[in-house]
This record gives sequence, structure tokens and C-alpha cells, in this order.
Amino acid sequence: MFEQMQNWYDKRHAYAKEWKKNHPGGKVLGCFCTYVPEELVYAAGVLPVRLLGSHEPQSVTEPHIFGMYCPFCRDVLAQGLQKRYDYLDGITISQSCLHIRQAYTSWQMHVPTGFSYYLPMPNCVQSPHALSYLKGEFLAFKNALEKWTGNEITDEKLRQATELVNTNRRLMRQVYDLRKQDNPPMTGLEAMYMVVSSQMTDKNDHSKLLEKILKELPGRKMDRQTGARLMIIGSEDDDTAFIKMVESVGATLVVDDHCTGTRQFWNETELKGDVLTSIAKRYIDRPACPSKDWPERRRLPHILKLAKDFNAKGAIIIQQKFCDPHELDIPAIIKDLKKNGIPSLFLEFDVTVPIGPFRTRVEAFLEMIGQDDLF
Amino acid sequence: MQRYYAGIDIGASSAKAVIIDAAGKILGSAIRKSGADLAKSGGVVFEKAMELAKLKPAQIALVATTGYGRTNLSFANQTITEITCHARGVYHYFPRAITIIDIGGQDNKVIKLGKNGKVLNFKMNRKCAAGTGAFIEEIAYKMDIPLKDLNALAKKSTKNLQLGSYCTVFTATEILSKIRAGEKVEDIIKGVFISVVKRIIEMDPLEGDTVLTGGVVAHNDVIVSLLSEMTGRKVLVPPEPQITGAFGAALLVASSG
Repeated sequence: MFEQMQNWYDKRHAYAKEWKKNHPGGKVLGCFCTYVPEELVYAAGVLPVRLLGSHEPQSVTEPHIFGMYCPFCRDVLAQGLQKRYDYLDGITISQSCLHIRQAYTSWQMHVPTGFSYYLPMPNCVQSPHALSYLKGEFLAFKNALEKWTGNEITDEKLRQATELVNTNRRLMRQVYDLRKQDNPPMTGLEAMYMVVSSQMTDKNDHSKLLEKILKELPGRKMDRQTGARLMIIGSEDDDTAFIKMVESVGATLVVDDHCTGTRQFWNETELKGDVLTSIAKRYIDRPACPSKDWPERRRLPHILKLAKDFNAKGAIIIQQKFCDPHELDIPAIIKDLKKNGIPSLFLEFDVTVPIGPFRTRVEAFLEMIGQDDLF
Repeated sequence: MQRYYAGIDIGASSAKAVIIDAAGKILGSAIRKSGADLAKSGGVVFEKAMELAKLKPAQIALVATTGYGRTNLSFANQTITEITCHARGVYHYFPRAITIIDIGGQDNKVIKLGKNGKVLNFKMNRKCAAGTGAFIEEIAYKMDIPLKDLNALAKKSTKNLQLGSYCTVFTATEILSKIRAGEKVEDIIKGVFISVVKRIIEMDPLEGDTVLTGGVVAHNDVIVSLLSEMTGRKVLVPPEPQITGAFGAALLVASSG
């Protein structure tokens, strides 16, 4: 049922090239972060694609990015330096963390495209001034997109693009809602393929498939046991090999807090009054990246609510090695989950993960959760 | 008819087997290198333990396996991770709230047990072998001292030499500078064990009594007194600390059937 989404994810470059062929004059924009307002990009007639790594060791980034920057941003930069995204017409980043910004600036320097745009997304989204600031930045981004594409971005186009992106978000939430069931009709791996593929395909195509899936999904019978219901929390994560391993040893991932998951699509843009302000508000209010969740830690109650709504019995906390913003949150998250009766397992991710030792840790964690059966 | 149970722990360095009766009494046990053929080494220790217990395979009701090679033995009735097995094996001797520190060939585990023996929390080392058996083996190899001599050497030392790094490679380099500076071999070796203890106590705060297990402790009891000195805590060691995981596996499978 989700094979097409896996196919899109596995063959993301072929998809984008095909899209360009089918949209003469259409441009593809590589996005380094999920704070890039997709509404504006679609309104300009441009396809936004999330830049992700390939989970392969490489030897091209060392001269350009510090070795103790997170493995994800190095992996992303490697894709550019190895010309795997040679079809991109432009790149953009909304400010989140310094590591991914370094990947962006290095890409800008060494893999030049016709358009590159740095979007200063405020770090203190909780500030009362953040919304008007971001609206101003979105206006500047809109102007830059217009100049680049030659397409005027009218309010009407923004409304249509918002509807397109909102529909996709809404459909993915409907799929997630089905994961609340005692026996979810899908795996966490399938959910991951769904969300990451939505970040690299045309929302028209993706939503069309989602509508079809939603017709069949409620009645789908799984040929596997659900086992322990787990939540997964962390930064970027498209480590499908890891997810597959976890779900092969007696567990199902039922929900996540990832920017390759809920953080990207959880809330919609509510059009009220000024269109750009409405869109900006959506990005200010979305489930925060820890680099923006300050001074109040709004992630904590949000994560707990997700865990409760989806009845998670334990949480795997993954961290991209050296990811400072997430390192800030991890002790607080572990403590908060524990206080609320949800045990957690912390694992550190790299470009590739050692499946064997991680399997022992995950199995031990599952035994810990299900101890009544053992003792 | 008396029922017997076996636990086989195929670790990163050594394979261990324990045979128990229904009352949890150890009737036989065996240890050997895991080597490259995990199924073979698991089979060999199992047979040796049965021989010592004067039992035949048909008399063993259930077998549980644990450790890195736990899925390599086709005749296992149950596979359980080493975390749960160590918890069970140690709780048998110390039935109360404790912190277990297992120093294995390639990883360290800190396991916290509640007073009912349940695992409350566990931590394992990250992608780094500092403070594990592999660290000590490497230093012994670099210093060209037989592994089995390290413990006695360290006990001769009267000094607490501090090494600046936990990293296996950096420590080996640092040792060269200590040798050049004229430090005694026994002081350097004790410094290596101090480094192991420092690495372990950083992993998680210790709570309750601390129990040490694992092959490294079985062969180097100097670590027990060092940990006690450095933390001011009572440090306990079960009998035969290298087979605790295999023993726990046997106890768990016995209670399951």
C-alpha cells in the first residue's frame, strides 16, 4: 500500500527529473530545513524538495565542514558535492541550526545554482515580535521567488497553494490517527516513507495517493503482531534500516516527534486576514525544533500529549551525534517522560548505525517494558 | 523427575554456559573464547558444562541463550538480552535494589534494579570501547604484558597515577610518555584500571549497593577495591562474576517453563 511512497523516497532524483520533464519551465528548489514555507514555494509554481542524506560513508565533505558537525548535515552536503542533486534550480534554508546552515553555505559555494536564498527564521518564535518579523521575511522571500521565476505570487495563488499544502497535512494526520488503534494498520516504517516522500514529491501526487490509501487503510489487516507501542523522538531521522530493525523485534512505532515526521506537517495554515501573516503564524506555532523552543519548553507537553494520544508505552530518543539543539532537550525529555511513566531508550545516530549493538539495546528495552512476562 | 536448565551467554569475547537444577543450584559451568564460530563455541561450553554436571542433553528441559551470539544457537528455547539476564543472575545473590555494573569484552552496562528485581533503567556504552575489556586487552598488548599478569601488577602499585584520556588509542600513546617519564610499570597498570573505573562511573549515577560483574572483574579484582575507594560505596561481587549472564538466562528459562 505504501510501496509507491517508498519508491518515491528511494528514487527521489528520478522523480524530480521526471517532474521537470512534465512541467516545462518548472523549477525545483532544494530545501535544507522544514521551516521553509512550502506555501510560498508552491505559489511560485516551484517544486520544493527536502535535501536529505543517503546514509553512505563519503570522503568529500571533510575540507568544507567540521568533522564534529552533525552527521546529517555532512551527509546532506555530500549529496550536493557528489552532484546527486544536479537538477536543482535553486536552494534555500530557513535558519534553524548552525550545522545545517554550514551545509547550505558550503553547497552555495561549491555547487552553485541559479538561486540561493537564506531565510532568517527567528530563533525566538515565542517572542511577541516574531510574527511580524517573520511576515517581513516571508515578504522578502516572496519577492525573491517572483524575481527568480518571473511568476507573480498573488494572494489568490497563495491561498490555492495553502489549500494544497494543508490538504496534504490533513490527510497525513488522518493516516496518523489510524495509528492510535490497538493494532495500527501500518508500521512506523511505512509512516516514515509517507512523510519523507511528502517532502520530496509534488503535493498533488502525494495527496492523490493518500486519498486512495485512506480508503483502504482502515480495513487493512496486518500480518504481524503490534507488540510494544513505541514513540520515537529526535531530530532528522530517515534511518529506515533502524526503524525496520526495531519493528522486527516485537515493537511498532506508533508516533514520532521528528522533522521528518510530525513536526513538519502537524499543524495547518489557518487563513485569517492577511495571507502572508497567516502563513507566518503557522510556522511560528508549529511543533518547534529545539533550536527554537525557548525560553519555555513547549516541546515537552507536546511530546507527552502525542505519547498519551497514541498510547506509547515507551520512547526511543535518537540523537544525531553532535546535534547541539537536541542535546539541550534530551535530559529534560527523558526526565519528563519518566515522570509520566514512559521509559525511554537513548541512542546516538551517525551516518550509518551499528544495527547489531543497537538491536541488543532495543531488545533489552522491550524486555524492560514487558518485564512482567519475564520475572 | 528432576528438571535441569541451561543458560548460554555468547559474549563478544567469551562464551559461557551454566547448568542449574530447578532450585537454581549451579551444577556445572564452562567458559571459553567466543572466537569466529559462535555456534561452535556455544555448543562446546554447553557440552562441557553438562559433562561437569554429569548430565546428558536429553536431561536438559530448556535452554536460553543471551549475549551477542544469542541468536546463533539453533537449539535455544528462548533468547533473552544480556541486560535482563544479568539483572536476574545478580538479583539471585543480592535480592534488593542495586546498581549492576557489568564490564564485558566490548561493552559496559549499568543496570538499575528495583527492590523487586525489575530493571528500572539501563545504560550501555556508546560507540566507544573505553573502559571495556577491549581497552585493557589493547593496553596489555601494547605494553607486551600478559593479560593475566595485569591484576597482580596493579596491586603492587602504591601510587594513583592518573591518565588524561579514556580513549584506548590516546591512552596507549599517553602510556608511552609515562614510560619515558620513568613511571613504574605497576603504577601505569593501576592507572589503566583507574581509567576504567572513571569511565564507568561517568555513565550513570550509582544508587544503592553496587554489584560488579563480567569477565574483566572476574580476572581483575583490583577494580573492586578501586571502585569502592573512588565512590565511597560498598561494592559487591557475586560468586563467579563472569557467568552471571549465563546463570541469569538459566534462571529465567527455568521460571518460564
